[in-house]
Amino acid sequence: MTLQPEDFWSFYEWLVRPNAFLESALLQGIVLAVLAILLGLIGGYIYSAARYGPSEGFYAVARVVRDLVRFDLPGTSMRRVLALARLAFKEAIRRKVLFVVGLFVVGLLLAGWYLNPESDDPARLYISFVLTATNYLILALALFISAFSLPADIKSKTIYTIVTKPVRPTEIILGRMLGFVAVGTMMLLPMGVASLIFVTRGLRHTHLEVADVRELSNGRLEGETDYLRGHKHAFSIDPDSDGLGVTEMVRGHRHLVTRNGDGTFSIGQATGALRARIPSYGEVQFYDRQGNKKDAGIDVGNEKVQEGYGSAGLSRLVGLTKGPRRAEHGYVEGGTLGVAEFMFSNVTKDRYPNSIPLDMSIRAYRSFKGDIVTGIRGSITMKHPTKPISSNPIAFIVDEYTVDEKELPLESQGTDGNETRIVNVFDDLVDENGNLMIQIRCLDRSQYLGVTKSGVYLRPGENSFAWNLTKAYLSIWLQMTMVIAFGVMFSTFLSGPVAMVATAVCVILGFSAEQVYDTRHFIDSNIERGGGPIESVVRILKQDAMTTQLDVDALTGKVIKTVDAGIVYALDAIATALPNLPKMVSTAEYAASGFDIFGALLARHAAATLGYCIIAFLVSYFFLKSREIAA
Amino acid sequence: MDTSATAVADSADQPALKKNADTDSGVVIETRNLSKIYRDFWGRKKVHALKSLDIEVRKGEIFGLLGPNGSGKSTTIKLILGLLFPTSGRVLVFDKDATETSKNERIGYLPEESYLYKFLTAEETLDFYGRLFNMSGAERRKKVDDLIKLVGLEKAKHRQLREYSKGMTRRVGLAQALINDPDLILLDEPTTGLDPIGSREMKDLILALRDQGKTVLLCSHQLADVQDVCDRVAILHQGELKELGRVSDLLKVQDVTEVHARGLTDDAKAEIAEVIKRHGGTVDSIDNPTATMEDLFLNIVRESESRPGARRVNTDAGSAEESSK
Repeated sequence: MTLQPEDFWSFYEWLVRPNAFLESALLQGIVLAVLAILLGLIGGYIYSAARYGPSEGFYAVARVVRDLVRFDLPGTSMRRVLALARLAFKEAIRRKVLFVVGLFVVGLLLAGWYLNPESDDPARLYISFVLTATNYLILALALFISAFSLPADIKSKTIYTIVTKPVRPTEIILGRMLGFVAVGTMMLLPMGVASLIFVTRGLRHTHLEVADVRELSNGRLEGETDYLRGHKHAFSIDPDSDGLGVTEMVRGHRHLVTRNGDGTFSIGQATGALRARIPSYGEVQFYDRQGNKKDAGIDVGNEKVQEGYGSAGLSRLVGLTKGPRRAEHGYVEGGTLGVAEFMFSNVTKDRYPNSIPLDMSIRAYRSFKGDIVTGIRGSITMKHPTKPISSNPIAFIVDEYTVDEKELPLESQGTDGNETRIVNVFDDLVDENGNLMIQIRCLDRSQYLGVTKSGVYLRPGENSFAWNLTKAYLSIWLQMTMVIAFGVMFSTFLSGPVAMVATAVCVILGFSAEQVYDTRHFIDSNIERGGGPIESVVRILKQDAMTTQLDVDALTGKVIKTVDAGIVYALDAIATALPNLPKMVSTAEYAASGFDIFGALLARHAAATLGYCIIAFLVSYFFLKSREIAA
Repeated sequence: MDTSATAVADSADQPALKKNADTDSGVVIETRNLSKIYRDFWGRKKVHALKSLDIEVRKGEIFGLLGPNGSGKSTTIKLILGLLFPTSGRVLVFDKDATETSKNERIGYLPEESYLYKFLTAEETLDFYGRLFNMSGAERRKKVDDLIKLVGLEKAKHRQLREYSKGMTRRVGLAQALINDPDLILLDEPTTGLDPIGSREMKDLILALRDQGKTVLLCSHQLADVQDVCDRVAILHQGELKELGRVSDLLKVQDVTEVHARGLTDDAKAEIAEVIKRHGGTVDSIDNPTATMEDLFLNIVRESESRPGARRVNTDAGSAEESSK
C-alpha cells in the first residue's frame, strides 16, 4: 500500500489546506453549494418563466426560496420525518431486500471454495474479497432502492395521500434518505459480522506435526512444522521456556509450539494474521550517490503509471496548481553515499517501552543479477538528528511485497563521534524534541532499494482487527449514504430508471475521476497519451499507438483536439464536483494490508458525505417543491 | 368578478345564498378564473382541461362537482389540493393559496382510487397518517380505533391492504381522510367500488359529516349519489362550468305537479283525472310508483340480516314456488 501525500493530511489540513486555501475541501464544498443553489435558481426561473411568464416565474422561484426558509425548514417535524422513514424502511423490508444478505452469505460460502488459502497473502485476499463484495453489493442496492421509490410512489399515486397531509417536501426527502440509510445499515450489520467470521475462519489453520527436530548443544530445540497450505514454519524452543516456543512469521502469521511432557509437540492456531497496525510515519529525505540532498529518490522507470493530481481541488480545476505529485518508490543506490533518511517524531519511552518496532515495505531493483539466492542486502542505522551519534548498522535482506517487521533494540553498539560505545535510543539517539532519525542504505554495489514515506514507519501500537473492519464498513456505510442521497435527489425529478442511470453515472464518473484528471493533465501539458475521447476512438480505429502523433491532416487534428479538450474539461469539472469515491473505497486497502484506518481519513469521508447530503437535500427540495405531483 | 359570476349562474337561489353567506361568513374554497392547460414535455399545449372556473364552496355545505369523464372534475380537485399548479387564476382554500402545506391540517382527501401502501395493515396505515399530522401516540391510538370502528373494519385491521377487497380499501381510504377531524373533506368519486350498502353508508356518513358542520366537496358521475346528498352542484363539461345551483332548485320541474296518495280505487283515480282535465291540466300518467332498485336491495339485505338463511318471499308476485330452500 503506497500512500499519497494527501493521505497523511489531518482532518484540519484537508478541510482548510493551510497556505493553500484554494485547494481546500471547504472551499470546494462552499463553491459546490453556491453553484447548486445558483443553477437551481436560474434553471428554476427559466423553467417557470417559460410556463408562467417572466414576472410570475420570478415570483414562483422567490416563493420556493421563501417557503424553504420561512415555513418548511422551521416547520419540519421529526415525527413526520421518522414516520416517512419508517414507511420507506418497511417498504424495503417487505419488498424483501434482506434477501440480499442471504445472497451475500451464499456468495461467501461459494467464495470459500474458490479463495485459495495457499496464496502468498491469504489475509489480504480474504479481507479485500469481503470488503469489495460488500461495497459493490451495497452500492448497487442503495442505487436501486433510492432511485425507484419516489417515482414509484408518484406513479402509483400513493404520494397523493402523503402530500395532501401537512407534510413538507423537506420531510419527504429526509424521510426517504433516513429510511433507506436505515435499510442499508440493517443489511451492513449482518454482512459485517458474516465477513468477520468468514475471514477469521478462512485464515484459521494449524499444522499437524513437526519434522526435523534437533537439539542444539545449548539445549535449544529447533525444527520445522509440516508443509500445509503452501507453507511451513521453522520454530525453536528455548530450554528455559517450559517447552513453549513460537514459529517464525510466514505469510503474516505464527503458531505457538508446545513440547508436551511425553516429548511430542503440539502446534496451536495461526495467530497474527489479522492485524491493524498503527503506523507512525516520518519525513523522508533522499541523498544521491555523492551524498547530496535530493527531493526524490532515483527513478528506476515504470513507476509513474498515473500522474494522480486529484487532491488539489478547485485550484487544479482552474489550472492554478497541479497538486502534489503522486508518490512512488524512490530508490537509493547501493555501495555509495546514497541513503534514505527518515525522521520520526514523538519517539518516547511511553510509546516504545521495549524496543523500536520498525516495519518496512521495501522494493529492490537489480541492475544485474547478483546473488539471486539470498536477495539484496540493506542496512538500518538509528541516528541522532543533529549530533554524530548513531547505532551500528543493522543488516537485513530485502523481503519484497510483505511488511518486514524489525525490532530495533533500545541499547546497542554504536559510535559517538570517534568513540565506540553502547548507545541507548532514548538517552543518546533521540533529541530533546523526541525526534529520531533512521537511515536505510543499500549494501550491494549497483543494486537499488526503493522506499516511500509510507513504506517505512515505526509501529507504536496495534488496533484490534474487528474494530478496523468496522471502520472499513463505516466507510462503506458513508458511500452508501452518499449514493442514497444522490438517488433520492435524482428521483425527485426523473423517472425511476433514469434516476438510477443518472446516479450510476455519477458513481462511475466518481470512480474514474483520477483518469479524467490525468487526461486533462496530458492535454494541458501537450503530452501524447492518447488524447481525449474522440482522439482515442480515432487511434483505436487506425490502430495507432497512443504515444505517437495523431496521424490525421492538420485541420482535422486541430478540430479533434479542440472538441476533445472541451469534453475533457467538462468531464473534469463534473468529476471534481462529484464525491471522491475511489478514496473511500480504498479504505478497504488499509484493512486488507493490515493497517489501522486513520481516524482523520474517516472524518474526512464523513464530512464530505455530510456535505454532499446537504447539497442533495437542497436540490431535492427545490425540485420537489416546484414539481406538480399530479402532472 | 368571481362572486358575480356565481350569482349569475345561481340566480334562482341568490337571496337565500346571500343570507346564508352573511350568517355563516365562511367561504371555504374559492376559485378565481381558474384555468389549467396540460402541456407535454416540450411545453406544447395538449389539453385545455379547465377554463376560467369560478366557484365558491361555503362552510357547512355538500358541494358536488358533476360531469362526464374528462370534464375537469378531478383537475379541479387536484388544483384545490395543490397537487397541480394553475396555469392561470387562483385557488384559495381557507383563504390561503392552495399550494401552501399548512392548509392540509384542516383537509381530508379521499382519492379516486385508494392510493394506499399495500404492504401496510389498516391499523398501520391509519397510524402512519396520524403521525403525518404530528399526533401523539395516545391520540393516534384512540383515533385509529375510533375510525376503524366507524368504517367497520375491526376484524380486518391486522391484515395487509393487499388482501383487501376494493370496498374495504375504500373504507380505509375514507378513514385516513378523516384522521385529522378535518373541516373540509374532498371526496373524489366516493362511491365507486362500493356495494349498494356501502354506498348507502357512505352517503349517510357524508350527510352526518355535514351535520357536524363540516364542508364536503365531492365529485362524481354517479348522478343518483349526487342527487341524494349534495346541497349544491356545479356541472362541468369539457372544462367549462355549465350549471351551478341548489340541487332542489335545479331539479324542480316547475310545470308538473306530483301527488302521492294511498288507498285510491280505480274509480277514484278516474275521477281525479276528470278534475284535472276540468281545470285545463293534462294527465301525463296515473300509475303505481316503482321503488328504486336501491330501496329493493337494501330491504332484501336488511331482512336477510334479521332472518339469516331464509330466502325472501315475495307475497304478491307469482314466485312462491321459488321460496325457501
